[in-house]
Amino acid sequence: MSNATDRESVPESSNPIGMDGIEFIEFTTSRPQALGGVLERMGFHPIARHRSREVELYRQGSMNIVVNSQPSDIPRTVVPIERPIISALAIRVRDADAAFRRALDLGAWEIPVRAQALELNIPGIHGVGESLIYFIDRYDEFSIFDIDFRAIPGVDPNPPAIKGLNFFGIVQYAGVERTSDWSEFYSQIFGFIPIPDDVRFGIMPRGLLLQSPCKKFFLQLIEPDGVAQFAPMEEHLQRIGLGTSDVIATAAELEKRGIEFLATDKVHTSNRGALTKAVLGGVMFELVHTDPSDSAAHP
Amino acid sequence: MNFNDFGIDSASLAGSLETRLAAARQAGFSHVMISASDIVGHPMSTASAVRAIRDSGLRVTGLEALRDFEGLTGKMHEYKVDVAKSMLELCSRIGGRLLLTEASASIHAEVDADKIARDLRKLAFLALPMGIRIAFKGFSWSRTVKNFASAAEIVSLANCPNLGLAVDAFDVIAAGVPLEDLEAIFPEQIFLVQLSDFMLQEIRSTEEQAATAAHFRVFPGEGAHSGELAKFVIKLEEIGYFGDYSFDVYNSDYLQMPAEEIAGRARRAADWLGETVLRRTLPVPNMERLRAATSD
Repeated sequence: MSNATDRESVPESSNPIGMDGIEFIEFTTSRPQALGGVLERMGFHPIARHRSREVELYRQGSMNIVVNSQPSDIPRTVVPIERPIISALAIRVRDADAAFRRALDLGAWEIPVRAQALELNIPGIHGVGESLIYFIDRYDEFSIFDIDFRAIPGVDPNPPAIKGLNFFGIVQYAGVERTSDWSEFYSQIFGFIPIPDDVRFGIMPRGLLLQSPCKKFFLQLIEPDGVAQFAPMEEHLQRIGLGTSDVIATAAELEKRGIEFLATDKVHTSNRGALTKAVLGGVMFELVHTDPSDSAAHP
Repeated sequence: MNFNDFGIDSASLAGSLETRLAAARQAGFSHVMISASDIVGHPMSTASAVRAIRDSGLRVTGLEALRDFEGLTGKMHEYKVDVAKSMLELCSRIGGRLLLTEASASIHAEVDADKIARDLRKLAFLALPMGIRIAFKGFSWSRTVKNFASAAEIVSLANCPNLGLAVDAFDVIAAGVPLEDLEAIFPEQIFLVQLSDFMLQEIRSTEEQAATAAHFRVFPGEGAHSGELAKFVIKLEEIGYFGDYSFDVYNSDYLQMPAEEIAGRARRAADWLGETVLRRTLPVPNMERLRAATSD
């Protein structure tokens, strides 16, 4: 992808916190088995459990998904309570504490520290709605999972990804006329950059796309349309986008595993992308075509 | 432009929070400006006040007012950030989408424009995840930002989408600011316009202005400056302002009169502005003491 900044000498500050992709995405739900079933059909494998909390780690390829069912972490505002929500995004950075301090200086809200034995103190800030954003700088030789989690015996800790699936991005639902606010938020705190309107991925083109400074991840901000504009403002992380070089083959493989895709006139599986049907009250995944040779959209 | 563009300020009315909300509602208003003290000063509890506001059927124009926030350093800055966070949480609980922030009058505040802009930007960032906008208001006895033109410069310097201006007609008229100055402001930068009139023909000193601002304001159309107010509102319409108007009438006498009566006066002011001034289909009523030619 020929982003404008690729052609210029980009100052170092264009990646102000040394962002380097996503360490994990967290769901919170009071029904972890039900969500786990969905994740397994999507190709994720449960590989480890948290040492002291009701938290499980699922992995496929480079993607980590954490399922949190710790009662105290379940947001009270989500109705019904069983509906899983995307509750956190953990960003790999050069220096987690420095990134955290910088965010606080800019005006981010810190989350209360969980002080428990044998647990890493992961610095984090409040994101959209009930969600949190963590900064993580241990991800090379030792990861947070090596310390806080206990491997499930007899399970391959590095299961390969179906058709090379990888994290492409996250779709965020924003309130009416809130795109510029959130664009400012992600730009200032993390160094995300809005990309031109004519650059689009997948089959759900609405909204504003922001690209991470490490070029490994996208955020898509979508405002309500039509009558939804008059509903009370609800903002949240809506779905995860998974990148693949072959959408059709990946969708076929996932269908074999029991995942259903939307097939309407407006939204249906194509070379460009696909959208799974919502399950468990709103959990869905989007497949997005990415070119493996294109470093902008593929790590 | 219609009646619903105008909101009343709970600080204009006497009585319990519930009494004031009911009076505003009964007079036909659809939104109300809430003071933080209305909520935390509720005789039952903060939660009761939040419930009363949410159940009132009135939209919250905004929460007022964060003061002396910008320009501080070290511990004082940290302390003010905590105060701001508390007010933002309060604003969010009552369903408010705007926090009125008055330019600092603190002698400890630095007056460096970059520092002020940086602090306001931080405040706007604190408010951003909650969907709250910061309306920054300059006034003449502030140390940091004395009028809407300087406030607009700071807001432009800070350059954050949820940071904008509150423009108070009182400050403009009392300080004799030329209306043409409004033409330099982008209308989308103005988040709130506050309207009030006053009885004094002229204000001679900053001290007198401060006293008048706090105790002797009256509703638009009731004071000595109806003509200037009318021109002020028409000018805002001309530049394309389409946000809320709020009557920031702080009057010690009104706080000794029944809330319903004062809300009725506010209603007449809204009718006058909405139907007479802005549509200009009828002449200004005789009750106004026009000084039309004086400001031209």
